[in-house]
Amino acid sequence: MKVDIQSLGTFNQLAHEGAQQATASMAQMTGIDAAVDVTKITLVDRADVGEELDDGEYVGVQFDFEGELSGRTALVLDRPCSETLTDALLPGDSAANMAQSGVKEIGNIMMSGFIDGWADYLETTIDHSPPTYIEGVGRDVIPASKGEAGADGRTDQLFVFKSQIEYIEESVEFYIYMLPDYDSLTSLMTTHADTESDAIPIDKLEVFNQMTERGTQKAAENVSMMTGIDTEAEVSQISFARIEDVPKQIENSRYVGTVVEFTGIPSGFLLVLFDEMSAKNVAEAMMPVEMDGDDLTDQHTAAIEELGNIMTSGFVDGWANVLRTSVDHTPPRLIHDMGQAILDPLAAQVGRHQEHAFIVDSRMRTDDVEFEAEIHALPNEQELREALDALMIERAEETDADPDEIFQ
Amino acid sequence: MKVYDGSKAAESEPTERIKVGIAEYDVSTNGAVLTTSGLGSCIGVAIYDRAVGASGLVHVMLPTAEDVDGGNPAKFADTGVETLVSALEDEGADSSNMIAKIAGGSDMLDFSKNGSGIGARNLTVVRETLDALDIPIVEADVGGDHGRSLRLEGETGDLIVKSANREEKRL
Repeated sequence: MKVDIQSLGTFNQLAHEGAQQATASMAQMTGIDAAVDVTKITLVDRADVGEELDDGEYVGVQFDFEGELSGRTALVLDRPCSETLTDALLPGDSAANMAQSGVKEIGNIMMSGFIDGWADYLETTIDHSPPTYIEGVGRDVIPASKGEAGADGRTDQLFVFKSQIEYIEESVEFYIYMLPDYDSLTSLMTTHADTESDAIPIDKLEVFNQMTERGTQKAAENVSMMTGIDTEAEVSQISFARIEDVPKQIENSRYVGTVVEFTGIPSGFLLVLFDEMSAKNVAEAMMPVEMDGDDLTDQHTAAIEELGNIMTSGFVDGWANVLRTSVDHTPPRLIHDMGQAILDPLAAQVGRHQEHAFIVDSRMRTDDVEFEAEIHALPNEQELREALDALMIERAEETDADPDEIFQ
Repeated sequence: MKVYDGSKAAESEPTERIKVGIAEYDVSTNGAVLTTSGLGSCIGVAIYDRAVGASGLVHVMLPTAEDVDGGNPAKFADTGVETLVSALEDEGADSSNMIAKIAGGSDMLDFSKNGSGIGARNLTVVRETLDALDIPIVEADVGGDHGRSLRLEGETGDLIVKSANREEKRL
């Protein structure tokens, strides 16, 4: 089973347009202005779907769809956002049952637009069930995907289409999740593949995702070793998004970290980023003396630079071992700036040759001190495909048995 | 693209804020505040026509549309500036009254080994395009190695530039 870049791009565009249509329906209905911020396709572990929801309270609607593409989809809003929306729809009536029917109403309108967009493109009919109201805390609000594991019984990763919609006045966000049945989506992608030549085998993409996970684990181990803080790799996923959406993968608050350019197959950029509080906490854990004050000093940033360096090595070595190739990288450059401004020049450099990009995202955190680190990789699309082509699946299975052997 | 019509805004209402994303543009004729954030090598081009009170902002990412085929004109410095100018003209603005303020084009994290980086090339193309349209650049805060966020005040045409670790600038 293969999926070509072109169809990933097309499908991403489709999801983006669907989300725009859904948002326009909502705006028309409520008079509230909102804009689609990001749309991306993510290949992610089942357990990690919706990790960006943290532990807020969410409401929304879900329904199933059937046809050439089948699966389940959900519109998720945080509670304050839903109250604003339903208030716009039914002014003055804040009774809980009305709020619920308001959410259902809006959800129904939005999601019909979303699904119809797909059906139009595929020139087919996609039926959907009536919407069901959902509520929950954090990722629990997202329904389980309908399909079982892939036909080979091994797949525990799934493609999720995720759109983030920003509601301008209040800066609250809502999300559309689309969880297509794995087999249904992959066969559709195969059908819509333009050429065999630029196709990526899906199972290799999954393996790559797992390898990234291992690379992150290795990087986390390095952090534990260096700081004495027990650190765990948390989430690891590959996304596919328009180049202009790449910088939006992170917040625009300030980050401290390192960036390297790596060369080889694939080439690209690798970022290790800490939010300022995490940077301060983790740097102080590495320092022999207590620091006074809240400001980040040169000592803090020097510690982060060192840490970024060993995390980069851990991560890149992981890739190189799996791909059986050498991946060289430039010395790390220390960066301390607005998150999106950090990603922007890197996206632009990659964007000279491609309209969409794969983004590898990993995160690690610890319970000991308040600390979270993100690793983002931005590989050249064409070269990633070549690298995956050369990747032997057997090798990956070997690694399954003994990851330590590879990540020594 | 959204166009905001001044006639609808009541005077007592708070100033409207319009967020302009990467590779997007927007215009206003009702004094709205246009914002864009996270400019690294990207450039924010603000164009203002005092005579009709029209303002517009585009957030461009790459130098020229020739480099990459297809897609969104607001992504590129050349087509982005042209698109913004014609959107302002559609709102009754006149290019002979327009002035431009630009910010961004940092060369932070530029790994290119030869020639100038993307930030510098974005700048060159923005300048050339505005020059060809005869729109003067009256203020600029460009280059350097830091990111910027912008706020264009539609009432005055002032462009406020925020950077991490630096004083705010009003252009």
